[in-house]
Amino acid sequence: MANAHASDTAHHDDHHDQPATGIKRWLFATNHKDIGTMYLVFSLIMFFIGGAMAMVIRAELFQPGLQLVDPVFFNQMTTNHALIMIFGAVMPAFVGLANWMIPLQIGAPDMALPRMNNFSFWILPFAFTLLLSTLFVPGGMAAGGWTLYPPLSLQTGDSFPMLIFAIHMMGASSIMGAINVIVTIMNMRAPGMTLLKMPLFAWSWLITAYLLIAVMPVLAGAVTMLLTDHFFKTSFFNAAGGGDPVMFEHIFWFFGHPEVYIMVLPAFGIISEILPTFSRKPLFGATSMIYAIASIAFLSFIVWGHHMFADGMPVAAQLFYMMATMLIAVPTGVKVFNWTATMWRGSLSFEPPMLFAIAFLFLFSIGGFSGLMLAIVPADFQYNQTYFVVAHFHYVLVPGAIFGIMAGVYYWLPKWTGHMYNQTLAKWHFWLSAIFVNVLFFPQHFLGLAGMPRRIPDYAVQFTDWNMVSSIGGFAFGLSQILFAVVIVQCVRGGKQATAEVWEGTHPTGLEWTLPSPPPYHSFTTAPEIR
Amino acid sequence: MSASYTSVKDASLRRRVRNGALGLGCVAVALYFGFMALLVFRSHH
Repeated sequence: MANAHASDTAHHDDHHDQPATGIKRWLFATNHKDIGTMYLVFSLIMFFIGGAMAMVIRAELFQPGLQLVDPVFFNQMTTNHALIMIFGAVMPAFVGLANWMIPLQIGAPDMALPRMNNFSFWILPFAFTLLLSTLFVPGGMAAGGWTLYPPLSLQTGDSFPMLIFAIHMMGASSIMGAINVIVTIMNMRAPGMTLLKMPLFAWSWLITAYLLIAVMPVLAGAVTMLLTDHFFKTSFFNAAGGGDPVMFEHIFWFFGHPEVYIMVLPAFGIISEILPTFSRKPLFGATSMIYAIASIAFLSFIVWGHHMFADGMPVAAQLFYMMATMLIAVPTGVKVFNWTATMWRGSLSFEPPMLFAIAFLFLFSIGGFSGLMLAIVPADFQYNQTYFVVAHFHYVLVPGAIFGIMAGVYYWLPKWTGHMYNQTLAKWHFWLSAIFVNVLFFPQHFLGLAGMPRRIPDYAVQFTDWNMVSSIGGFAFGLSQILFAVVIVQCVRGGKQATAEVWEGTHPTGLEWTLPSPPPYHSFTTAPEIR
Repeated sequence: MSASYTSVKDASLRRRVRNGALGLGCVAVALYFGFMALLVFRSHH
């Protein structure tokens, strides 16, 4: 992408306009780096809270029978694990990375709307405090699954309005973040930074932001209608009043399927930054990568029906959704081919970001292939509501989205902090994560194919062995993530000084590498020239 | 607000940023109410 030749015209600016001190720096933050940091820290906290819920799930499923928790609490854990991981961990992590990196990559002094940026972050702690506080209200947390299908979700106790309000706040935060990204990229690129010269991470986020603006209001509309059905006697989704519960599923998945790509497209961008750096080669087919991301984003709007095959629908609709879903394999195949071609005959080195990127490539592909299997209508009738689906989307989201985030953090952390981190520890983190994520999720394919249903706390004895293996993998994967926090904390506190280029000898391209590490508090106050 | 805010002084840029944000915000609001209006409309036909 852009072969940036920008002199660091900004470092003199850090002699004035220093950050405010104490809590004011964070409460009133308008600096993209501070807000990015807050998003990332928030996301890490949510990752551990959501992870703790996953540990409860895996502990209960270690053996058949009810061991530790009652079934309602188990369902509360599955529901809220999903909500927290999706809206609290993965999405804020990508927004944090966007905040940190987009202005640095496009040569902008900050995000275009810094005050809105502050607001969109600070909504989140309130939203998740509200969501988590439902644990203590009569009836407990929502337990009907993160998809909130009525009429089951309408049986939620006193926590229902709190859940809906929390989802509204998360949605508002995401929409504001997306507006900020689009407006920043469209208006604040440095002179000479044409769209096609823009780094892939910024490109992937531009497309993701459009997806967010298109679908988050749809989710908000759907849950508002749930709220009015619950409290104001409307019958949008109430069959007894002439409504249609299946309509909720359509609206939910019109949001839900693009949401999957919202969680993975920025990871595509990150991988497209990392693989060329550590292959010491330019990205193969960079322009086709942009078209592939855009194609995937477009297709994500027309495939939602594949989540509803088992509901029953006309054969023509089944065929359309099946084929449209399979079509996604084409641009995805372009991307995987290009990433592989980037590494082909490259001078590879295996620093932690590269290890995570390569694992992403292999393991995300497994999730993609099981997605293709699920797209086949008659096969889906067998896999639907089984652990095969759980295995599929966890392969997409854990070694996909989350490994993408970890790769990005390990790639840019020295740039942010000015210190190199402990690479040995980071490699331990990688190997333990990469091994145990497979121990955790691969057996779930077998369980699903053998017929084990999802979202149940108890199961037939023939599923015991693979559940034990999966739980052991889960505990080990969960414990391994402590290393991630240790590496980050150590790196923030000190370490060997990182150079501007950080990854010596790789000659990474992009404007961020022309700035010192850490970059000045205000960078690119004078726009760099892109040749 | 923090004293560390980076101000953008170019009036044309400020206008484009404001209009862009307002336009995208309107799209979001239209989708929010639009889907609800669609279902209300559907329930009457």
